[in-house]
Amino acid sequence: MLLVNNLSFARNDKEIFKDLDFSVGPKRIIHIAGRNGIGKTTLIKILANILIPKTGEIYWNGKNVKKNLRDFFKNSTLIMDIHTSKSELTVFENTIFWKRLFSSKIKQTELESIFKILSLNKNSKAGFLSKGEIKKLELCRLIIEQKKLWLLDEPYVGLDESSIKLINETFNNHIENEGMIIFSSNSQPQLKNMDTIHLENYANN
Amino acid sequence: MQTINSILAIFYREYKITFRNFNDIFTILVFFLLGILIFVFSIGPNKEIFNYISIGIIWTLLLLSTNLSINKFYKNDFKDGNIILFYMSGLSFEVIVLIKLITMWVFFQLPFVIIIPIASLILDIDTEKILLNLYVFLIGSPILTSLASISGSMNLLNNRNFAISSIIIMILSIPLIIFSVGIVSATPELIEPQLNILIGILFLFLAITPWASAACIKISLRNI
Amino acid sequence: MIKVFINPDKFEKFSNIIIKPLFLISFISLILGLIFSFYLSPDDYQQGSTVRIMYIHVPSAWLAMLTLFIMTIYSVIALVFKISFGFIVNSALAPIGATFTFICMFTGSLWGKPMWGTWWVWDARLTSVAILFLIYLIIIFLRKSFSDINFGEKITAIFIIISSINLPIIKFSVDWWNTLHQPASISKLSSPSIDPSMLRPLIIMLVSFMCIGLLIAIIRIKAEIIERKQKI
Repeated sequence: MLLVNNLSFARNDKEIFKDLDFSVGPKRIIHIAGRNGIGKTTLIKILANILIPKTGEIYWNGKNVKKNLRDFFKNSTLIMDIHTSKSELTVFENTIFWKRLFSSKIKQTELESIFKILSLNKNSKAGFLSKGEIKKLELCRLIIEQKKLWLLDEPYVGLDESSIKLINETFNNHIENEGMIIFSSNSQPQLKNMDTIHLENYANN
Repeated sequence: MQTINSILAIFYREYKITFRNFNDIFTILVFFLLGILIFVFSIGPNKEIFNYISIGIIWTLLLLSTNLSINKFYKNDFKDGNIILFYMSGLSFEVIVLIKLITMWVFFQLPFVIIIPIASLILDIDTEKILLNLYVFLIGSPILTSLASISGSMNLLNNRNFAISSIIIMILSIPLIIFSVGIVSATPELIEPQLNILIGILFLFLAITPWASAACIKISLRNI
Repeated sequence: MIKVFINPDKFEKFSNIIIKPLFLISFISLILGLIFSFYLSPDDYQQGSTVRIMYIHVPSAWLAMLTLFIMTIYSVIALVFKISFGFIVNSALAPIGATFTFICMFTGSLWGKPMWGTWWVWDARLTSVAILFLIYLIIIFLRKSFSDINFGEKITAIFIIISSINLPIIKFSVDWWNTLHQPASISKLSSPSIDPSMLRPLIIMLVSFMCIGLLIAIIRIKAEIIERKQKI
């Protein structure tokens, strides 16, 4: 359960948002909405503990995240709009790397079936994939890492309709299995148990 | 156990990526040999002068070749979010820096063990000096890698001033150059004390670098 | 009392009180020091009158190193204790340190010409000071090469700490290198005579340089504080 209390952020003395409070528990999704440049990506980065907020605390399962980073990272996955897959490695090699890096218990057969569902050729080098395919590869990390909290920044960018449907199904499945999702997006997806936070309400102009 | 698996996974991946990008390493080795050539052209093929300055040339060119590999340390992994990925997999920044130090040393300094003797033969250096130089290189090259790591981590968000990363490594490398060249060109009594000093410098930098590089990476992450 | 060195507002108030007397002390000590240096101290038996340049050369060298030392302490304060006044002090002191280093090199050159016939000599002290000058230049450039000044000053602070750890090593290695390559000449640049008639003007000039340096530093820090307040 993630609890955000009195969060505010300023960059170069210019306030981006303030007085942000919300929480997300198991089986819930939070959609962060707002126009371009309002600070959606910044908020996701703050939640992932990469940026430091100006004021406010984030609590994971009751404990302050700053003092409990290890536990927080053990239970969360961050996917941003940049792709961490290496272009010199094949799809398969990238996923095996992620599996080993996060000591994931996912089986090779499960990986193969994911590639089939996403229609990714496991032996093609990541450098030759299209933008949408790279995004799908990146989203594989959600399944590989098998963590409870999913933090995503703009997960739908570049995906075709069938892929969007797939992602939404994946999100819904995750929720059914006691997972939590926080994502930022410009689109309005149809998902179960979803609350929307409009950052305009917390912005400073 | 999990941490060791993560670390080994990163090593394995770096190994694979560097092998598929071997051109980078080759280019740096060719840069080194070309540098020797330029020195020969600018000074003239005067054997006596070269007897005096050849070790100095080799170490200067090693420093300049390390300059070329500064950006390969962290910039790519920083820009595509891999550093964040490593951090979220439970590794501390200092461990990430150590992994990078080892991989960069193995791939960008170790090949010089073959190239330095070749260059020494071109410059007509005695065999004993070549062996001594190789031994000093094994102690001095980790220092070069540490300096490159410090400089690379400081310049992650630097998009304007490209030369400053080279300047940082050059000014911090002055003791290394003085003592490395000093050991090889020295009379036998002076070899051991200078060697001890060089090893001392190595340990000093091995102690500072993880802290300094990790601090710079952390600060850079908070400012992307 | 300690707050003066850490808190910008307390520093401003303190500086307002101290500026006028400091200016007076600097002025008097400089005049006194110059009189002592050029009239009231004896000629060196070996170098004659040219030794008097030492009274400017040596204090500026000490001050160049003292400035870096102060900058290192403030860098540690700023990074470890997150007191941003340290960054203000760093940016104020860097050009002062660079200037003192330059004065030291310049007077060293002027001293070298009649002594050794050349404008530059690879003497241990002169070479170390040249390296120190380059370090100051790098500090100034590094701070300016990032678009976000708040970020640049943190990286610069780390660089200052690393270079001060390295400075004793560099000084030692340059001394070593110098003795290896110039065994014959004994450097008169680095050993001032201990005769009290020569020590007196040296101390006075040192005090006056410290006061002048402090004066300029206080003015620069005040200016930096005002500039940052305006931005907010």
